[in-house]
Parts: sequence; structure tokens; C-alpha cells
Amino acid sequence: MKVGLFIPCYINQLYPKVGIATLELLEKLGVDVDYPIGQTCCGQPLGNSGYEEESKGACKLFIENFKNYDYIVCPSGSCVYHVKKHFDILEQTDDVINVRSNIYELTQFIFQILVKTNVGASFPYKVGIHKSCHGLRGLRLGSCSERMDAPYSIEENLLKEVKGIQLKTLNRVDECCGFGGTFSIFEEAISVKMGKDRIQDHLNSDVEVITGTDQSCLMHLEGLINRNNQPLRVMHIAEILNSTL
Amino acid sequence: MSHAKEAELFNNDEAKVNWHDQALWFVRNKRDKAANTVKGWEALRNLASAIKSNVLSNLDNYLIQFEENAQKNGIHIHWAADAKAHNKIVHDILLKNNAKKVVKSKSMLTEECHLNPYLEARGIEVIDTDLGERIVQLAKEPPSHIVLPAIHKTKEEVDVLFQKHLGTIPSNGDPQYLTNEARKHLRDKFLKADAALTGVNFAVAETGGFVVCTNEGNADMGIHLAKVHIASMGIEKIIPQEKHLGIFLRLLARSATGQPITTYSSHFNKPSLGKEMHIIIVDNGRTEQLGREHFRSSLNCIRCGACMNTCPIYRRSGGHSYKATIPGPIGSILSPGMDLKKHSSLPFASTLCGSCSDVCPVKINIHEQLYQWRQIITKDIKQPTVKATTLKMAGRVLANSKLYGFLGKSARFMLKHLPKFIINSKLNTWGKARDLPKVEHDNFEDWYKKRKS
Amino acid sequence: MSRESILNAIKKNKPELEILPEIDLEVFHEDIDLIETFISNVNFVGGSTVQLDNLENLDEEIIKRYPNAKHIVSCSNKSQLATISISKETEPHSLESIDLAIIAAQFGIAENGAVWISENDFIVRVLPFITNDLVLILSKKDICLHMHEAYNIISKRDKTFGLFLSGPSKTADIEQCLVIGAQGAVSLTVFLI
Repeated sequence: MKVGLFIPCYINQLYPKVGIATLELLEKLGVDVDYPIGQTCCGQPLGNSGYEEESKGACKLFIENFKNYDYIVCPSGSCVYHVKKHFDILEQTDDVINVRSNIYELTQFIFQILVKTNVGASFPYKVGIHKSCHGLRGLRLGSCSERMDAPYSIEENLLKEVKGIQLKTLNRVDECCGFGGTFSIFEEAISVKMGKDRIQDHLNSDVEVITGTDQSCLMHLEGLINRNNQPLRVMHIAEILNSTL
Repeated sequence: MSHAKEAELFNNDEAKVNWHDQALWFVRNKRDKAANTVKGWEALRNLASAIKSNVLSNLDNYLIQFEENAQKNGIHIHWAADAKAHNKIVHDILLKNNAKKVVKSKSMLTEECHLNPYLEARGIEVIDTDLGERIVQLAKEPPSHIVLPAIHKTKEEVDVLFQKHLGTIPSNGDPQYLTNEARKHLRDKFLKADAALTGVNFAVAETGGFVVCTNEGNADMGIHLAKVHIASMGIEKIIPQEKHLGIFLRLLARSATGQPITTYSSHFNKPSLGKEMHIIIVDNGRTEQLGREHFRSSLNCIRCGACMNTCPIYRRSGGHSYKATIPGPIGSILSPGMDLKKHSSLPFASTLCGSCSDVCPVKINIHEQLYQWRQIITKDIKQPTVKATTLKMAGRVLANSKLYGFLGKSARFMLKHLPKFIINSKLNTWGKARDLPKVEHDNFEDWYKKRKS
Repeated sequence: MSRESILNAIKKNKPELEILPEIDLEVFHEDIDLIETFISNVNFVGGSTVQLDNLENLDEEIIKRYPNAKHIVSCSNKSQLATISISKETEPHSLESIDLAIIAAQFGIAENGAVWISENDFIVRVLPFITNDLVLILSKKDICLHMHEAYNIISKRDKTFGLFLSGPSKTADIEQCLVIGAQGAVSLTVFLI
């Protein structure tokens, strides 16, 4: 099985450590991973802002870069969701169909394809999970609080097995953090308020480290935490799963 | 003003935002508890959605069937292509019956048609009898929520309002006292009313009958005391058979307020002896929405308000910030269809979190429709230059690996080396309340390349 | 005119026919204690219940709970407490002073504590709403599980006016504070025989 690693544009530029943790983790789990140089972006920021048409070039480049892999794995629920859901604007060639069917978010790939829950990590801290919306409600990485389904959570399945970890329960378990792409700029007041409220929930729940599958949410929360000097750390789930003592 | 501007103003009072947010989250929680008690809740949603799909695909026949059956039972049926036509029909019926005093129970449709000012300008007294509606009527404001019209008002504000208009004594916002006083005041209005106006929760094609649901009993108090009952309904309120009410009534109140059913679910089939019953079937843009493939299912809406209660943006900006008859998530996919320019900011007042779609009892894919409206708006409505240019440019850059590589590096360089005060200045909206990420070391691609070599 | 233009617009804009779904009620079936569930739901919606073995003490029990009721209407021959009699000719406005109305319910629904009553049961349409307090008489054996069963039961009725009534009137429009007793009856007691 040959896996193509898809690293979201902003992780590549601003949070390379998340990409590094993802690659190292997959290799640790015995996966043959390749990172196609020349990948740029899945086009999500444009699509969500109403510029789907203008994103076609980026989408086509994406397909070019990833068409020859058995699986494409990405440490971002929202990017994977965008490819699965919104690449319907491209002509549905075999390559496009294959990429759309074989793209997985990282934890999804580990749990559903590698069928693993214990990845040999240790992280003895109190951790709060931010259940990013596109991964949760888009990819259904877990049950959400408003639907009456039997409860499940891929993230929790993996994190539970991390040595020393203490998973904390929040008051509002899956409320949006307020990032929302360009929403964070164009509806700044609400975006900030939503982020502040999420952070307060984690603080009230005795959390030391906030984690999740989407660095965009985490970037937004971290920006607020740092500005307000709050006693919390923010780490992508790949970093926690890749942690050893 | 755009939603963003209104929301910013609303957020100047953080205590109020917290209060509003918690009040609505409380209702969302009640909905969750209620839904959890129902075996087969998700199956109910699936059925409701499928029934509505059938209705929309056969709407003309169902309306004709409904009209026939209603008329057989002595109900007068009228058709109104738009708000103007609707208001005129209402007025004509009132004139014919010499009705000067009218009591109205909750109808978002009449709100949409701006019926009250139309009738008042023609010398007719209209009293909204739903307590929340009466509160906003006295305050001369539009409702801020379709089920909880006065959710934005504190009890102290209501106290002051009632002192002024109902002559109550100051009570520090005692809800029991204020409700009792409102009861007496509205009782008087019911007894003196010539006509009762109501909405329609569900109209049944099979029987020609319709259902009106309330908790207060105000619709029935008005209807059974007045000589004339006028019920206004949107064309999409039709359901095929009476047994389908079993599905919708199990979903409606639980989704709206967390109750197993409203106190009163009144089924009207025939007018009372000697009284008149009228139904006005209203289009006002609904047939147009019916023709829009992406947005047609927004007509499934049964006006429960669950999407508003769950929406983190609605809770923190309030219904008035949407400047639309129906606010919140459902309002943001209905309103652009009626006036794209006026409501162009609404589909962007969302992070597309998808919670609304998951609570919707009739499974409208609200968050997906918000995404689709965005694609239309950027084409048809002039966007802020900075946004449009930046994003279009980004599209070109992201389609070109080399260009992207170069600019990516430049952006990182700037982020690393520009002094903090520039980055955190007013020009940089992100930096108003948030720090930017720190840039260290290589980007991922450079690290990977180095590792490979 | 409006009718033609609306119907034509619909014909033009409606999508391909989607068939009505089959409703499999098995999905909703539960083996629960109907009476217990009904009682618990009546309480949940702000009403109260009284269980009696037979009709013998009914009036006594009603008076116990509504000792101050002077103007009483009874629509059921199970109670003899009526002080005012009504008929199809009764002017609705005249019922403004009614303290207590006693109505026999056709059946109840466990899942939501509601009962079905129709025009035939209370004669004057405004009665269940205008009365200050409301008493319902219901046979324990006449409680069904859910709304689907309820609609089956009422499907053959003479359709004029009827309602599902669940609890006393209420509102939470003032700061989400629940107040029992809005425009309709301020209290509801179901006597389960």
C-alpha cells in the first residue's frame, strides 16, 4: 500500500511540526508514505468563500499530485471533507473518483484502514478534545451531540490508548470554535467570542492541552490563548499520537 | 448594515451575549433530552424529510385536493400570489364583516407580509396574542426568533414595558405576575375581537383540514370567540394525509422547545355553525424557491427554530442582526432567494459547522445550502474589493506549484520578520484579538526535502 | 388570477415525482407501561393525575381539589357537579366566568401525556380554553402508545373540530421562565379511572 501524504498549505508553511508528526507516526505504523512535492492546496478556503470556480485550478493540481496513490492521508478533517464533498465541481474522471474515495483524515485512516487504536504513544497530561466540525459532522469521525446515534468517536478511541493521558469532558462537547476560514476575518467579533467561549470551557474542565484533528481550529484557539496569556497548550492530535516519553 | 456589523455591535455587551447564548443553549439542551426519549428519532426525521420531498414534487395536485376538500366542509379558500395580494384579501374579508378589532396568533407568514402595519394604516386594531409577540409588539420591534419572539428581552425590560402599556406595578420582572397581567389584558382583547387571524402549522390535503399548535391557547381563544377566522398559510405547509401528522407532531415541539407536544394541537375541519373560516394560500416567492434545485428543500421547513437554538452564531449575535423576517440558519437560505442583494451577507454569517442540518427535523441540508448561496452571491453581488481580489489571486497561485512555493516562502518571511506592532495593528483583522502563529525553522516541504537527501 | 399563476408556477418548477415513503411502525414500538408513562408525561407538562378505582368518589375527589369552583360545567355524565349547563346554542362569551370544566376524554397518549377531545365532547368550542381550570376523565384502558396509534384511532371520526390537549396552558416567553397558566386553563387534572 502506497500512501500519499497531503499536508494542508497552512500546516506546510506555519505548523510544519504537525506535518512532521504525521509523517513520523505513519512510518512508525509501518506505512510506506510519500509526500508529493508540488502539492499546494485543496481549494477549501476559496470554495468556502464562494469562489469555487476560481479554485478549480488548485483542485486539478491536487488530483495530478495524488492520483497514483492507494490512499491519501491528511492531518485535517476539513481538507479531506472538502475533497470528498466539493470536488464534484471537477469532471468526474477515474482519477478524480479514486482520489475522492481513497482520501482519509489521519485518525480515520489509522482506525478504519490500519485498524489500530494503540499507536504506542505516551502523553501524561490532561487533554481536552476539540471536535472540529468538518471532521465530526462532515466526515462523521464521531457521533455528535445533536443526533440520536449510538455514541462513538475515532479520536477518543485512539487517545484513550495513549499512556498516561487523562481525557477531560467538556460542558459543550462539540460546539464550533468559530474559525470558519475567512469567517474569522469577516465576522471577527463572533469568531473571537466563539473561540473565547471554547477556551473557557476547556479551562473550566481542568484541561492542560487542547487537541483536535484540524490545525485551523487549533491555530485560532492558540492565537487567543497566547494573546490572553492563558494557561493552556494547543497540540494537533498527530503530535500527541506521535509522542513518546 | 451587514450581519457582521450588526453582530459586532451586539458583541459590545459581552454580558448580554453570554446571557442570550446561554438562554438558547438551554433550549437546545431541552431539545436533545426530548429527542433522546423517542425510540426511532432519526427514523422520524428520515420519514418527515421524505414526505416533504414527495409534497414538493406533487405540490400543485395536493393544493388542489386540499382546496376541494376544504371547500366541501364550508371553508373559504383564497390564493395570494404575493404579500400585497395576501394583505388585501385579509382586509377585504375584515371589511365585509365590519371587523375593526382583530386578534392574531403567531404567524411568521403574516410577519413576512407586513400585515400589521397594512391593517393598522386602514384603521384596524391588530393585537398579537402570543405573549412573546405581544411583548415585541408593545416594544415596536420585530420578533428576534420564530418560536421565542422575545428571547432577546430580559424580564426587567418586560417589566418596564408592561408598566408603561399595561399599567402593571413594578415587580422586578416577576414572570408569574407579568404573565397573569398579560392574561387579563389579552382576555379582554379576545372577548372584544371581531376576527381572529392565525397561521397554519400543517394543512392536510386528504381532509381539507389544518392544524394550529400553541402552548398558550391564544389561537383557540381568538378563533372560538370571534365571528371570523382567517388562517394564512404558505403553499409548502401542505402534507398529504392526516396520519402524517403523527410524524410531524412528534418532531415539532420536541425540536422547538423540548416538550413532547404543544399544549394545544387544534385540528380544524369545519367552521363553527354560523361562523366563517377562511384560508389564504400564499406564494410570495415560494414557487421560485421550488424551482431552485439546490435550495428547494428549504421549503421543508416546519418553523421549529431548532436551527437557531443550535447555531453558535445566532446565539451570539441575536435574531435582529440578520435583518430578515426569519433569521438564523434557515433564514439565511430562505431570505437570499427573496432579495439577494439585501441578504447577501447572511450565508456568510456561518462557519458551516453543520449543527443546524443535524437538528433539523425535516433534514434540510442547511449548511450545504449556505455554501451554495455563497457561490451565487460572489458572482451576482459586488464583493469587497480586498476579499474578491485576494481570493481570486489565491486561486491562481494555488494552481501553480512554483508560484505557490515562492509566495509561501515570502509570507513566512514576512510573518517572521515584520515587527509585531504592524502585524497586530488594526489593518490586520486577525491580529485584533489573536496572536499570529510563530514561524520557526523550515516549512514542511523543505524539511522533507532535506530528510530525503 | 393568483390561483392559476401559482399552480402554473408550481407545475413549471416542481421536481421529478418522489414517492411517499412507507411507514413501518415497528421502528417506534416499545413495550412500556402505558399508564405509568402517561402519568409521568402529564406531570412533565405541568398537569396532575389522580388514580381512582371507580367512578364512585369522582365528584368528591374533584371538589377536594377545586373547593372554590362556583361556576362548573360538566360535559360528562360521569360527574354531577355542573352548576351551569351548556348547549350548542350557548354564546361562547358567556363562558368567561367558568371556573371549572369537566370533560371526558376519548383516549390518552402515553408518549406525551396528551388526550384527544373533540367538539362532541365539550359542545362549545371555546370551553376547554376559556375555563379557568380543567378536569379530564379518562379510562386507564384507553391509553395508547404514540401519535401514530392516536391518528389511527381518530381516523374515522366525524371531522369538525378536535384537539390533542397536553397539560395546562403555559409560556416561557419571559426569559425562558416557565409560567403555568397563560391564556388557557391554568391547571389540568386528569382523573384516571
